[in-house]
Amino acid sequence: MNEQEYNQMIKRCLRCSICKWIPQLQIKSQKYATICPSIDMYNFHAYSAGGRIIIALALEMGRLKPSKDLMDIVYKCTECGACAVTCKFLNTLEPLEIIVKLREKLVSLGYGPMPEQKQYIESIKNNNNPYNEPHEKRMGWLPSDIKNDPDAKTLYFVGCTSSYRRKEIAIASARVMNAANYPFKILKQKEYCCGSPILRTGDKKPFIDQVNKNIDVIEKEGIETVVFSCAGCYNTFKVDYPLERDCNFKVLHTTELFNELIENSKLELDNQVLHTVTYHDPCHLGRNSEPYEEWDGEALQMMPFISINIPEKPKRSGANGIYDSPRNLLNKIPGLNFIEMERIKEYSYCCGAGGGVKSAFPEFALKTAKTRIEEAEDTGAEIITSACPFCSTNLKDGIIEKGSSLSFYDISELILMALSSQPKSVKELSKGVT
Amino acid sequence: MFLEKEIFKEFEDIVGVGNIDDGVVITNVYAYNWCMEIFNYMDGKEPIPFSPIPKAVILPSSTEEVQKIVKLCNKYRIQIKIQSTGLGPWNQPSTDNCIIFDMRRMNKIIKIDEKNLYAVIEPYVSGAQLQVETMKYDLTIHMPGAGPMVSPLASATSMNGPGFTSPCTGHSARNVLAVEWVLPDGEVMKLGSYGLKNNSDWFHGDGPGPSLRGIMRGWAGTKSGLGVFTKVAVKLFPYPCSTDFNVKGNSPNYDFDIPDFMKLYVMDCGNFKKLEDVMLGVEEEEISFMCSYLSGFAVMAIFSNSIESLMDKIPIGQMKAPLVVIITARTKREFAYKQKVMDFLLNNFKIENIIGKIYTPKPIFYAEALRSNLGLHGFIATGGFQSSKGVADTAAVCLRSTKSNIPLKQEFIKKEAIANDFGEGTWMTSYESGHYFHMESPTMFDQTEESSVKGMAEYMEKSNQLDLLKHLGAPFFVEGTRMHELFGPYMSNYHIWLRKIKETFDPNNISDSGFYISPQNK
Ligand SMILES: Cc1cc2nc3c(=O)[nH]c(=O)nc-3n(C[C@H](O)[C@H](O)[C@H](O)COP(=O)(O)OP(=O)(O)OC[C@H]3O[C@@H](n4cnc5c(N)ncnc54)[C@H](O)[C@@H]3O)c2cc1C
Repeated sequence: MNEQEYNQMIKRCLRCSICKWIPQLQIKSQKYATICPSIDMYNFHAYSAGGRIIIALALEMGRLKPSKDLMDIVYKCTECGACAVTCKFLNTLEPLEIIVKLREKLVSLGYGPMPEQKQYIESIKNNNNPYNEPHEKRMGWLPSDIKNDPDAKTLYFVGCTSSYRRKEIAIASARVMNAANYPFKILKQKEYCCGSPILRTGDKKPFIDQVNKNIDVIEKEGIETVVFSCAGCYNTFKVDYPLERDCNFKVLHTTELFNELIENSKLELDNQVLHTVTYHDPCHLGRNSEPYEEWDGEALQMMPFISINIPEKPKRSGANGIYDSPRNLLNKIPGLNFIEMERIKEYSYCCGAGGGVKSAFPEFALKTAKTRIEEAEDTGAEIITSACPFCSTNLKDGIIEKGSSLSFYDISELILMALSSQPKSVKELSKGVT
Repeated sequence: MFLEKEIFKEFEDIVGVGNIDDGVVITNVYAYNWCMEIFNYMDGKEPIPFSPIPKAVILPSSTEEVQKIVKLCNKYRIQIKIQSTGLGPWNQPSTDNCIIFDMRRMNKIIKIDEKNLYAVIEPYVSGAQLQVETMKYDLTIHMPGAGPMVSPLASATSMNGPGFTSPCTGHSARNVLAVEWVLPDGEVMKLGSYGLKNNSDWFHGDGPGPSLRGIMRGWAGTKSGLGVFTKVAVKLFPYPCSTDFNVKGNSPNYDFDIPDFMKLYVMDCGNFKKLEDVMLGVEEEEISFMCSYLSGFAVMAIFSNSIESLMDKIPIGQMKAPLVVIITARTKREFAYKQKVMDFLLNNFKIENIIGKIYTPKPIFYAEALRSNLGLHGFIATGGFQSSKGVADTAAVCLRSTKSNIPLKQEFIKKEAIANDFGEGTWMTSYESGHYFHMESPTMFDQTEESSVKGMAEYMEKSNQLDLLKHLGAPFFVEGTRMHELFGPYMSNYHIWLRKIKETFDPNNISDSGFYISPQNK
């Protein structure tokens, strides 16, 4: 979004509050009708997308000045993008992009990111990960019996969270690829944070450094396809990297890859997983993973105030996120009973961790996770699964905090359980890793 | 900080920490609303979308808290402005001595009485929320044309009330049953059967004793000019067809399984006289779920979800007097009967249904009709939209008002102040199977261009006044002291009585009167 578009759009909020609800036509109950974790938690209109658009306008008009209070409101948003989906059912505003740009503006004025976010950005600069972990230990997750092929043209980009915090996801993903004899390479010490946690805070400069670092390595290694088990890394490579630099490689999420492997009979799910499971769509794999489409048309003025885009400008509406791949996988696991929550796909409720919220406002992240866990419980499922290590962390925290009887497994772990070729001890290993 | 520390603390003690804010950011956010720039300009102020900044915003969670806050406001002579979902300039304070109540935390559906056909709700239950819960009993509700995201309580107690389903679900003023009302002095008033000493319940809106429904909301609502409504019972209606509501695909290109017994008719009546005859004919038969006259441009808009998708509907736009009718039924036999009646009427009036011949809408249109989502399509062309007039009368009077507005609108289109809908932009619906009718004149403009804002404001003033000059009654957009004083002398001096009500019920002038009437000498 350029400056001119931003300045036009911030004047056009209807204050209709559509951004607070799931798409009106999808509302199935009073309980699960809302979509925005921020307004659900903090209640004042300022904490909705509409409210933040008003803040952007008031700043431009000089009615407000950047301040700590203002920053607090702008950063108490998970940038889950659900507001953009529901707003764009009929409107042409871009609430999420406005919020991102508003953060960028605050950063450029010396307000933001939040102190905790600044700390992890420093860690990324120093250690290549936001967790203050030594870079040398990045491969600590890798069991010796996992095969990786230094000559492969496919890269498994593990990501910081799976490398250091959710190792079971990296292990399960790698083991599934091994089981399918799908060759992949790991960058080991040459893998750096994708930059997503920086980008979401509005701190553009260090993000671009990460883009360049990662693309340089990928190009040098002659990689053709990059596979991700982390929805955040996947999204950043797929949607945000091409806005900064040409990317001459294909990106795939493991849910897409595993589907392909099953379709091509490389992987056979032949072990019963007798559980009732519900699936949480990560925002980064779902609605936000829709790439920008180039549009090179023009706006034709039909009459005063009415102009149309020729050809029609593609709307990033959330319709083209990755929704079917994970569902196909779950439906293919023998014995598994898959049931949906009420808020799914493009109008899925966020886990609460994104946009730098987990580090800056942990109580907000946790409350949101508990809300989502309750929704999962209401389906009658025993297991909640997802396809993102960051969602995994927050939802697991939510389960503990809520005292829920639900278990969380990443979808790669469920696939692993469905492979009879895997010895039981391996499954246990994958389960037990912390 | 806009409140003195000690006063802030007194409010905070009522609602708890985190439920009141008087910081500059939050209060500025609440000063903004859609179309505020027009009303500012009408008041001789700078045409910006911000009203006076409230002193604070407060989030009560119960009637008791509302009472205590209102009493405190009386003590400190601070005015109050109430927002349910808060859409539109009517939610904005008219002075800077005002606290906004955001009713978000009062969001309970207290009761759905499926036998006696009413539901009791708090202010922040949205139309969609109430509708889906009542659908579980094969029932539905009335929603204003604003859409399913607004508050049925706000519409029932405080503001206008026509909707696209008005032929079968009526008007908010007539759907409101018992009410719990915190008066401007902080006392609770229970209206209707809820006020009975013994066996109080919510099923009836009038009494005990004389009915106060007229005082409570009258024709168009007091728009927060007379206290706070904390609970209301609204009528429920049989759901018009099967409640299976299966929306498929992803936003915005949803697909929908059209219920078996639902049919759309769009007919060009050619001229207003015939339109009136056809509308009366259809409504006399009591068969319609929706029966609206819309300009050709507006019919194009309700079938489109973007400006670009308007363009393949040009033939619809060329219709002279389009009538949109939807019939629905619960059984095959009922459906067959209604279709037969429609066939008979079409034949009699020698008009054709273009649906399936010239145009076939996407199935999602039917879902939007059932969920009252069509009004929001008014925004797709320019993003700026507001209405004038708001007549409730016979079909003939509504059409006279429509006709008289066309040259005026064309004048402003020529000046390039408003968008070109050929002057015809009107929405007219029947209420309660043609018992009476409603018309208003939605108009598109560009809120980001000062000249358009000014032009739109001038047009709206003139459009409303036209009803006065042509003796067409009081439009519902007559709001605020200036307009009531302008219209009152021509209409039995109603404004004098309105003012007496205000003075009696609000002795300290606590409820913001910006969109109601100010007390004498204040
Ligand atoms: C596209 C569009 C189409 C529209 N079409 C229609 C239509 O067809 N029919 C129609 O009637 N209106 C229509 N409107 C206007 C609309 O009715 C109102 O904007 C809407 O009902 C407001 O609902 P709300 O929940 O936002 O109530 P609010 O906007 O919150 O409140 C409406 C008014 O009531 C007051 N109020 C709210 N709650 C309380 C309370 N608890 N106690 C005391 N006062 C209160 C507010 O101060 C305000 O003045 C339309 C608006 C738009 C944008």
